Amino acid sequence: MYDTEKLGTDVNQTNTKISARNVQVYYGDTHAIKDVNVDIDAKSVTAFIGPSGCGKSTFLRCINRMNDTIDVCRVKGDITIDGEDIYDKRVDPVQLRAKVGMVFQKPNPFPKSIYDNIAYGPRIHGLAKNKADLDEIVEKSLRRGAIWNEVKDRLHAPGTGLSGGQQQRLCIARAVATEPEVLLMDEPCSALDPIATAQVEELIDELRDQFSVVIVTHSMQQAARVSQKTAFFHLGNLVEYGDTSQIFTTPKDERTESYITGRIG
Amino acid sequence: MPLSWLVLIILALAAAGYFIGRIRVLKLAGGEIRALHSLPIYYGTNVALSVAVPALAVLLVWLLAQPTLIERTITGMITPEMIPDGSNLNLVMSDVRRVADGLNTAISSGAMPVAEVDAMDATVVDVRAKLGALGVALGQDVRPEVLAAAKSYRSAAVTGNALRAFVVLALALVGFVVSMSKTKPDFRARNVVERAVLAFLMGAASLAILTTVGIVLSMLFETINFFGLHDWRDFFFGTTWAPNFRGDSELSILPLLWGTLYISFIALLVAVPVGLFAAIYLSEYAGPKTRAIAKPLLEILAGIPTIVYGLFALLTVGPLLVNMFGQSGSLGLGWMSGATSVLTAGVVMGIMLIPFVSSLSDDIINAVPQTMRDGSLGLGATPSETIRQVVIPAALPGIVGAILLAASRAIGETMIVVMGAGAIAKFSANPFESMTTITTRIVSQLTGDGDFASPETLVAFALGLSLFVLTLGLNVLALYIVRKYREQYE
Repeated sequence: MYDTEKLGTDVNQTNTKISARNVQVYYGDTHAIKDVNVDIDAKSVTAFIGPSGCGKSTFLRCINRMNDTIDVCRVKGDITIDGEDIYDKRVDPVQLRAKVGMVFQKPNPFPKSIYDNIAYGPRIHGLAKNKADLDEIVEKSLRRGAIWNEVKDRLHAPGTGLSGGQQQRLCIARAVATEPEVLLMDEPCSALDPIATAQVEELIDELRDQFSVVIVTHSMQQAARVSQKTAFFHLGNLVEYGDTSQIFTTPKDERTESYITGRIG
Repeated sequence: MPLSWLVLIILALAAAGYFIGRIRVLKLAGGEIRALHSLPIYYGTNVALSVAVPALAVLLVWLLAQPTLIERTITGMITPEMIPDGSNLNLVMSDVRRVADGLNTAISSGAMPVAEVDAMDATVVDVRAKLGALGVALGQDVRPEVLAAAKSYRSAAVTGNALRAFVVLALALVGFVVSMSKTKPDFRARNVVERAVLAFLMGAASLAILTTVGIVLSMLFETINFFGLHDWRDFFFGTTWAPNFRGDSELSILPLLWGTLYISFIALLVAVPVGLFAAIYLSEYAGPKTRAIAKPLLEILAGIPTIVYGLFALLTVGPLLVNMFGQSGSLGLGWMSGATSVLTAGVVMGIMLIPFVSSLSDDIINAVPQTMRDGSLGLGATPSETIRQVVIPAALPGIVGAILLAASRAIGETMIVVMGAGAIAKFSANPFESMTTITTRIVSQLTGDGDFASPETLVAFALGLSLFVLTLGLNVLALYIVRKYREQYE
């Protein structure tokens, strides 16, 4: 797995999608993210690892401005996607979130049918001209979410009736239905069993063809399996960032090494 | 011995038992609390409970049973010949009770010794004048058989009271001795006290349930009486409400039910949108500071007594509506003639229900998991799209439940409609006319000076029971819906 992925990263090395400079995040008086600088590649999977409370999810939520929905949260510094500052006053966070999709820790299908779950985003953003168009988008998204074969006969059954792993793939399909450029995943497998996890991981690897994927994970094996680059966060600092193979084999920082070998965390 | 003394003695004994029990068990354990099975207070409480509970329970049963028993014995003494024409057994018995009370008063005030009372003969002494001098007024001269019955009544009560004091005190002492003998360090006093606490709590719960059953039964019996006097077909299927005192009243629930439902409908028309939107604002948009101020303010509305709402309807809203829709009103429509109308009562009742709807909906909207909102916002939906398409559909069953609960309050509401809706029972779709409701009619049928046994009065119970069944049905439906919804997210 490593070899092919490494090849991929080499090709995309110069292609920066998201770039963060001196990002600080405060929750009230707490300084949650300190001075983070990172460049995330397009069409690759980047993993954020680190102990609980280290700020990796917080930083992830900065990328689509989900932190705006939390009253006490303040973000400073610059985050650009394709060179555009997403915290610029002219940027509408609602539009940004259509471009930067997100998948959450716990599968959260809406209490609607499978079809309506997928069609939700396209309907809101007016992506479909007519019913046939919408049907096509739904099918395409479900295929990309690797769940089409399981649900094609019951598209109008409630999405909440699926198993946990299916629900999470449904949520991924829902996120890709709005044709985002970046897909953020906040511990997408933490509520799933190993088989469902394997399916989702396989899916993430396929999504890399079309999207830039950023994944927060607690599992170092998962980071090693799915990502091309890895960032290690500790106590709000970005400690080390580099190729996944390098981080896991020859970490430069001793904190990274301690975490990977299980001494801190 | 007077009742209050008896109770005080038992309580004092129990209090003493508490301290003695504690001291005794500590002494038996050599002052070492660790050697005890339970903490000393449990031993004390056990003694106190053993003294007080059986004694007070027997006292309570005795208090309920003794009057009935005496009554039955004395009633047996009165033969049908003793009842004068135009009277009945109940009237004679109440005479007996009054005379017996009078004799008691005479004895306790010291005006007559016990022996004189026992020897008193109604053929010789004017009992009425004698008792009248002591401040006990009697309606007529006391006949010998009544005096005799009163004397036995009195002596039975005196004997019963003495026996009562003896039995209860003996029981308290037995409880004290038995529990003291059990008070040893290895006695599991804590378990006994725990069971007593459980029994006490269960008693409280069953009292509440039994009261409900009692209310329903009392309504049911009076309703059965009513249907004995009045045709049930007229009540349920008639179309006119026209009580009179000639005995040919038409008492149909339908016009009243129409008024009730019409006013409730208007109330919901006001309360549901306003309440729901207020709830959405407070739970989804308002910051913590706004919420901290606005929510209590809204809930103050719920604390206003309904009579005040009634005044508001009568003095403010009614005239305001007349100024708009009346003959010389600002709209010049001439639709409304008086301040009392369906619209007046409905609007004010709607205002009353706003906090009810909003606080229930607020709870339900808050119960929708945050991850739903995150999911929708993360797809680029605006907050209002999220609310309309995700939050409200998810909360809908609960909101429907809240609306049904509000409806059942509206149907049962009385003071606002008494003051704001008027008193004319009729079928009409015009909201500017005055109409009346079931609750208003219950009030006016029972507060008049009509004969209590007439159908015109008893109809109140049939109306009340119908209302009860209606609101109970709505509540059950609402709770069923709310509960079904709750299970989804837990």
